[in-house]
Amino acid sequence: MPGATSVRLRHLCLQPAPYISAIRAAVLIQRWYRQYVARTEMRRRYTWHIFQSNTSFFTLLPLSFHSFITSSATSWTISHRPAQNVRNLISHIFRENDVCWDSEWERYFCYKNIEVPEVYSGPHLTFPLTVEQAVGLLEAFRNKKQQLHSRYVLELLLETWKLLRMLPNINRISTCHSKEVTICGDLHGQLEDLLLIFYKNGTPSLEKPYVFNGDFVDRGKDSIEILLILFSFMLVYPCDVYLNRGNHEDHIINLRYGFTKEVLTKYKIHGKRILKLLQKIFSWLPLATIIDQKVLVLHGGISDTTDLSVLTKVNRHNVRNFYVSLNLDLSTAFTFTLCSVAGPVCFSAAASEEEGPHLFLVIKSLFVCLQILDLLWSDPMNQDGCMPNEVRGGGCYWGPDVTEDFLNRHNMQLIIRSHECKQEGYEFCHNRKVLTLFSASNYYDVGSNRGAYVKLGPDLVPYMVQYQASSMTRELTARQSVGRTERSALKVLREQLFAHKSDLLCAFKKFDTKNTGLVSLIDWASAVESVMHLNLPWRMLRCQLVTCKTSDGMIDYYDWFNELAIKGPNTDSLLETLYRHRSTLETIFRIVDTDNSGFISMEDFRQTWKLLSVYLKMEITDEDISNLAETIDSNHDGSIDIDEFMEAFRLTDKKSRLERGRSMFMGTTSDLTKLESDPNV
Amino acid sequence: MAPKKKEEPKPAAPAAPKPPEPERPKTPEFDPATVTLEFTPEQLEDFKDAFQLFDRTPTSEMKITYAQCGDLIRALGQNPTNAEIMYVLGKPKAEDMQTKMLDFEQFLPIYQHICKAKNRGTFEDFVEGLRVFDKEGNGTVMGAELRHVLATLGEKMREDEVEQLMQNQEDANGCINYEAFVKYIMAS
Repeated sequence: MPGATSVRLRHLCLQPAPYISAIRAAVLIQRWYRQYVARTEMRRRYTWHIFQSNTSFFTLLPLSFHSFITSSATSWTISHRPAQNVRNLISHIFRENDVCWDSEWERYFCYKNIEVPEVYSGPHLTFPLTVEQAVGLLEAFRNKKQQLHSRYVLELLLETWKLLRMLPNINRISTCHSKEVTICGDLHGQLEDLLLIFYKNGTPSLEKPYVFNGDFVDRGKDSIEILLILFSFMLVYPCDVYLNRGNHEDHIINLRYGFTKEVLTKYKIHGKRILKLLQKIFSWLPLATIIDQKVLVLHGGISDTTDLSVLTKVNRHNVRNFYVSLNLDLSTAFTFTLCSVAGPVCFSAAASEEEGPHLFLVIKSLFVCLQILDLLWSDPMNQDGCMPNEVRGGGCYWGPDVTEDFLNRHNMQLIIRSHECKQEGYEFCHNRKVLTLFSASNYYDVGSNRGAYVKLGPDLVPYMVQYQASSMTRELTARQSVGRTERSALKVLREQLFAHKSDLLCAFKKFDTKNTGLVSLIDWASAVESVMHLNLPWRMLRCQLVTCKTSDGMIDYYDWFNELAIKGPNTDSLLETLYRHRSTLETIFRIVDTDNSGFISMEDFRQTWKLLSVYLKMEITDEDISNLAETIDSNHDGSIDIDEFMEAFRLTDKKSRLERGRSMFMGTTSDLTKLESDPNV
Repeated sequence: MAPKKKEEPKPAAPAAPKPPEPERPKTPEFDPATVTLEFTPEQLEDFKDAFQLFDRTPTSEMKITYAQCGDLIRALGQNPTNAEIMYVLGKPKAEDMQTKMLDFEQFLPIYQHICKAKNRGTFEDFVEGLRVFDKEGNGTVMGAELRHVLATLGEKMREDEVEQLMQNQEDANGCINYEAFVKYIMAS
């Protein structure tokens, strides 16, 4: 065909006029195409901003709330314990290499009496595991979409637990024998990305060591499969597969972000047992990996107090249980409460003459807790210094000077971390001394970002490989894919705006002193930013967000709220607030439901509302609660089905009506395939 | 798979053959000092937002690279040719495109100049040009021919760019109804 065209063109040369107009047409098309590409890039960027700001603003459970819940729950049973308990507790934390085999737990996790039925067609595992079995597991998940039987799951997890307890807090590996190490970032239950990595790079082996940098679970729908694959390869190649703990390897976070629900849904009978065992496994995951003594790989980051020699010595599986809430009593006593999430262990240490030395030990353990939080939760920032990470509620923001100092002190050259989604799958900062690596592509929505992994050879120069899982993207043209992502981001943004209606109204009124109901575009943008604090390019988004406009460029903000309301949730103010916090509400329910049965008692239900109202600084009267309770407990048996309750919320949201059966637990930007034809979206 | 370390979208291939552009000045060197800015304060705010979105400096210095300049101009709604962009940038060398930076004040006269250029490229112009390739005079062109044209004539596009543009445009026989195609392109 090309040959024929050149002949044609040569033929056309004899007739200059058509040739020139052909060139002109080509240039026109090319110009328009390039404009289209530039505008698409623009949309992609602000869509990205929306997703990033949305995550931090709304759907994250801050650690401060976390500790609020646990300290309130346990403060109901608070009692003063003598100093002896304090001493015991502290020595418990610092006890070295505790490898006691807990026979009670062994009995509970016993899988031997679980029968595998004839009709089960999935993989059968025998231990010790071989590489063929690990690969077989991979194939079963990829091609046949099978689920591993709970008996084998428990057996695999038990073996994993045994292995992890042998490992130090910080793994140390080397790239000798010209081996390249492959490092992967967050996977978040996205099996497709893991499969893509193994396809491009090969599965783990003696020649192909891997480090997985945490956050294997939550948000995506195949978290348990990812864990099973990673653990099985680790069992086959214990010296060549390394796992670092991420902030999502934590059972409270899992309650919030979907992993708990996934396991309970996939394993209806043995799910609870599996979750309990996973809780132990997570606590035993190593905190970091060091390559050739020069490159530190860990999930979150560092702070100005990070001390690797301290971290090497702690009992990592105990310390993680403690979330700290600090109460400074400014009178004579200096009191603080160390609360355990694992159970109702609660005490307080008051500074008195004889308890001085114990106080010191308690402070020291506090210090360790905070250090570990820093490793798993911190984010880098551009400015020098180190400050608390208020967005996440734990860990810190650390600056280039802290990186410089840390690397010099420990004689290292690079920090590789994950924890933050990056559009290209990776990003350098701090003068290329910190590399952020993220391996879950299309994380916010189809087409939102690439994933990446890093290869590191003996020269320790990072070599990046990017990819994007494409089973959905293949079906869409590039234009459709950007359009979809943009639409879903805007929908989320509109919901956010609507949920802040009262604050926005106040802000608009400040500009609209004559009470005309109108504000100028500039004022509109300032007001919205002052309320939402999302640092978004509001002026660019304005034409998408505001379709009603008076002829002289002013915006009628009451009209605008009405416009949002059609697309947004219920207008009732109590429900408005609850809707905004629905994910938090669901989390609280699941925390209260300690035996993971899916039901909570009426009394617990009331307590939950009380807690939420205190946290939100909101007035919820007992009457409100009773009324709600009446409606929810439809069969009047004194207990409430959590799923049914949340379902009631979903009925107010058209999107969820379409997705009945899917969980909104995953945050507000889940798969929107079915909404393609929805005219309201 | 080759590592991709660049973060900016690549500018398209350079040097166009002489396009018949009426605006193309015969005088050399674009001089930004001679351009009078006629934007309203409102427009300036809009431009600032867009400029910020393209700013990839680590400390948000409100600067963009030369390579991004074309994209920003297009994102704001103009559609200059690559040649015009090179002209207003002072015909920089290829290696300067990624290294030299512009701040907002320097960008404005450049953008103003592009805005002043007459708006070329109507629907009819497109269709007129594509009709040249319509062998049978039935309103369609062969997709393969169009691809070839876009990749070899004018300000050549790369193969992947052509692919992206033409994705899902051809019917079962590989033909494209060019009126519909032009409408599709202009409806960005």
